[in-house]
Amino acid sequence: MSSTITQLNAPLTQAFDFQPSSELQSTPTLNPLAQRLADFDTLTSALEYAAKGVTGYNFYDAKGNLRSVLPYSKLKQNAWILAQRLSGFDLPRGSRVAIIADTSPEFIELFFACRYAGLVPFAMPIPVNLGSHAIYVQQLRGMLESSQASIALANIDYISFLEEAVEGVACIQWVGTSEKLSKLPASNIELQSNHPDETAYLQFTSGSTRTPRGVVITERALMCNLQGIVRSGLEIRPDDRSASWLPFYHDMGLVGLVLAPMVTQISVDYLATRDFAIRPLQWLRLISRNRCTVAFSQPFGLKLCSLRVRESDLKELDLSCWRAAGIGAEMIRPETLRNFAEKFASAGFDENAFLPCYGLAESTLAVTFSKIGKGCKSMQVDSKTLIDKKMAARLQADGRKQNEFVNCGRPLPGHIVKIIDEDGQQLSEMMVGSVLVHGNSLMTGYYNNPEETDKALKSGNWLDTGDIGFLFEGDLFITGRRTDVIIVNGRNIRAQDIEELAEQQPEVRSREASAFGINSEDGTTTIVLVIECRLTSVTERQSLTTRLQQLVYMAFGVNCVVELVPPHTLPRTSSGKLSRFAARQGYIQRTNRTGQLSFVEAGDR
Amino acid sequence: MTESNYDEIMQLLCDRLSSLTNSGTQITPETNLISQLSIDSIKLLNLIMEIEDTFDVSVPINALTDVQTVRELADLVHKIKSAS
Repeated sequence: MSSTITQLNAPLTQAFDFQPSSELQSTPTLNPLAQRLADFDTLTSALEYAAKGVTGYNFYDAKGNLRSVLPYSKLKQNAWILAQRLSGFDLPRGSRVAIIADTSPEFIELFFACRYAGLVPFAMPIPVNLGSHAIYVQQLRGMLESSQASIALANIDYISFLEEAVEGVACIQWVGTSEKLSKLPASNIELQSNHPDETAYLQFTSGSTRTPRGVVITERALMCNLQGIVRSGLEIRPDDRSASWLPFYHDMGLVGLVLAPMVTQISVDYLATRDFAIRPLQWLRLISRNRCTVAFSQPFGLKLCSLRVRESDLKELDLSCWRAAGIGAEMIRPETLRNFAEKFASAGFDENAFLPCYGLAESTLAVTFSKIGKGCKSMQVDSKTLIDKKMAARLQADGRKQNEFVNCGRPLPGHIVKIIDEDGQQLSEMMVGSVLVHGNSLMTGYYNNPEETDKALKSGNWLDTGDIGFLFEGDLFITGRRTDVIIVNGRNIRAQDIEELAEQQPEVRSREASAFGINSEDGTTTIVLVIECRLTSVTERQSLTTRLQQLVYMAFGVNCVVELVPPHTLPRTSSGKLSRFAARQGYIQRTNRTGQLSFVEAGDR
Repeated sequence: MTESNYDEIMQLLCDRLSSLTNSGTQITPETNLISQLSIDSIKLLNLIMEIEDTFDVSVPINALTDVQTVRELADLVHKIKSAS
């Protein structure tokens, strides 16, 4: 620990004593440059244009002080300089570069430096959990190996983790900070422009140490999705400004709040995720003070605001400028939005600003958007019909048990959503089934992972999202996320990754662990890990339970319930595969929570 | 920073953890935050906010990766406080 802290203290102490310079000014909202809405071939050509204006990225600290400013003009210069250093490695075009993505100007500079140099960047997470050191290093190593990265970069706060992770990883040729990179000699190799068919970046979607999945997104897919988002989703205008706390290593943070603003030449104000999570008020203050119009959050972020912002803080806020409050990345519960709207109405928040949307990294970011400026619409359907007939029937009479689902809107132009049953047959409106997407925003696959790619991309280039829902008058309603992803406090956790952790224990055999989420009445999700266990000693059983809880916490930052059951308790399919859905139903029956029995079997992908 | 400050940090942590987790567990320096107190992400954020407000420090998120017990957390806060 000491080495980490010693390294950290210097910059952080300095950071804390930082006095905001009177000279530092955020980039303006209004730009003399004529606005172009993502009509570019590639990211670098978009940046070349944005750099002609005066807008850009602004970074704020935990106290709300402006800490650094990166106008698009300066980003272009700095990225270019770093690209000349990267070229010196003489790597083949398309070689991967791993970057730990702190919310900082350095990350964005490195990301674009890679694109200028014809390299493929990908963002790796920062560690957020207590005691997670060892497992975090393993997760980094998993991504480095899976991507066969040649270069790995991090800033001073995280470089020691990265140096540990690259040990023994043969593909890595160089590891260091942005500063160290800038001290290398510039190569005089001429930088080539990029082609729309080249890969723009990878996006990792799993915290697995053994089988991470890196989504491959081309320049063309990216620009197609960005166009859909900024033109038909958000209807971006010249006077727009964004504020974001979303991590740069998530698709919504990176594509939605770093790249989308740049390709429309608007300014963004950033707050680090950690600073938001501790003091969510700072995000709302940024929106209010800088008159931001577009800001996205997961429902969990809104919940944090409702929970932690004090009534006395509301007076200083004026949120009337906020016209697009995008909500996505997890199941949206209407109550979460209602609570937020109620709490912040007195601060000028207009509930019509709510903009529910649906998407996933495998389709770059967005699939559907609801109509901007119309708020959150939902539908109440009869629970019994939903379970018995897998059909969404609008509630006719009061008093019947109902489910309320949020309208996530229509597919972006050029995209199609269809619903299919277990046999792959397309279903009609109001019928509940698997959600499939077709369009130009889709990934080309998971990097170097044909097996997972085949599971996700079906014939005719239809992406199986793994989510469950229905269509009504062309609008998509999501009724359940895939059973292989558990969402707790805004974090997406793959069930397989938890099972894999369990199977690494000597007492647990392969395919004898099943993980799933169960929901309580108030909407919170608890992870349950059921293990077939042969141990008889109480001490040994307790030791296994405690160890598993601790490991899951360190890897994913969440608590879980561990249930040890006799061998052959977990239900298997005819091919011997564990069924998470059936395991969950079994657990619910054993613990008498039958009110929660799931109505549709989601596709275990 | 003197020993009494360290004790003060330890005392505050034990008090706060005791009310945060609301459990009957006797909190000692060796108590494991994860396995014994089940500190989830929300409780952790609350705790960090209180530590930061009380001691006027900034707790770097990367340093928490090496913290599992109450003593390790107290050591970390003490170290940051001493360096600031």
